[in-house]
Amino acid sequence: MAIFHADDTRPIYVQIAEWLETEILNGNFQSNEKVYSQYQLAEMYNINPATAAKGLNLLVEEKILYKKRGLGMFVTESAKELIMEKRRTHVLTRLIRDVVLEARRLNISDNELVEMIKNVQKEEGEE
Amino acid sequence: MSVIECRNLSKKFFGGKTALNNLTVSIEENKITGLIGRNGAGKTTLLKIIAGFLKESSGEVTVFSERPYNSLKVSANSIFIDDQMTYTPALQLYDLLIEADRFYPNFNMTLAKGLFEYFAFDPKYYHKRLSKGQKSTFNAIIGIAARCPLTIFDEPTTGMDEGVRKDFYRALLKDYIEFPRTIIISSHHLNEIEDLIEDILLIKDGRTYLHLPITEFKEYAIAIKGKKDTVLDWIKGKEIFYEQYAGVDTMYAVVKNDYTEKEFEKARMAGLEISSVRSNDLCVYLTNKSRGGIDDVFSGSQPV
Repeated sequence: MAIFHADDTRPIYVQIAEWLETEILNGNFQSNEKVYSQYQLAEMYNINPATAAKGLNLLVEEKILYKKRGLGMFVTESAKELIMEKRRTHVLTRLIRDVVLEARRLNISDNELVEMIKNVQKEEGEE
Repeated sequence: MSVIECRNLSKKFFGGKTALNNLTVSIEENKITGLIGRNGAGKTTLLKIIAGFLKESSGEVTVFSERPYNSLKVSANSIFIDDQMTYTPALQLYDLLIEADRFYPNFNMTLAKGLFEYFAFDPKYYHKRLSKGQKSTFNAIIGIAARCPLTIFDEPTTGMDEGVRKDFYRALLKDYIEFPRTIIISSHHLNEIEDLIEDILLIKDGRTYLHLPITEFKEYAIAIKGKKDTVLDWIKGKEIFYEQYAGVDTMYAVVKNDYTEKEFEKARMAGLEISSVRSNDLCVYLTNKSRGGIDDVFSGSQPV
């Protein structure tokens, strides 16, 4: 499917959930506004409706969407905040992990690494 | 609710070949199930028994709560599409659509006509003169438009070119959303149908090997790459589906994914690369007879 990155190996329902999050962040869906149904998503992304539903449910579990019986899925009040918070921690953790691993491979001690981080902070602070 | 129930289903053909060997499975209503297996795994035999075309040798099979063989109920509510379908040679293509419309109660003639025109069929042409791919396409149109409560496609895309395949799967999905029904599609190419199906049924040597939602199947195994000793240590006691070696001491292994997030963290810290496995590859690994695949054939004879 062209809309997805071909080299994205994460499950499709995760990709759908993330795409919906981005739509919310971009303001295409406001708080208490109805989002796409599993059938709309299925058709849009050419996937089984059950898979699309799994993506929606993921966001319900994270309190980004809520269900209204018989009406569909809606954006919660705190959705935007939750998404931003989640992305911040995720991205940062991943970057830090890469740094730590690379430092280990290069035999850089913990103290040296902390020192390097402090140096960068200092440089950035001077600008 | 399940539409199809098979319990210890076996089929032996004359000459002693066992096509199905105590296969047990139940398929739920209004789901799209992908039936996957290697050549000779028993896919077609299973589908033909479900459709009532073949009689089981032993075990139990019910479709819509009836034994399918010689069942009018099953035959009235199902359609079986493959590349062996034959129609009366006297009728032209368009007349075949009209007859199908008369025969199948849910037949959607508007859709059939639309697809017929989209794929540029000549109404006055004859089925037996069509090319392999065109035959498959025409059969697929009948299969979709018939809207049978149980719709079975056995290797429906044989001979279709890439564009037609995509169109066919998209048409099937769209019509399924509009008119949900139980659909089984068999294919060698899981990558073609993995987004379309809800469940995967993987059979091996005439038995059910795996039957689970495709989203779970995609997380069923993970691949791990890194220094051989580290990898071996990390996969100790796990079910290994595939292994491969490269360079001096690099190892790549595919194992069952029952690790916790913490264990992944540890692996990454130890410098191991973890990735997901493409479902198509996983199917091949799972249905291989040996863990090294074709390489094992050669490794015995190679000079060290």
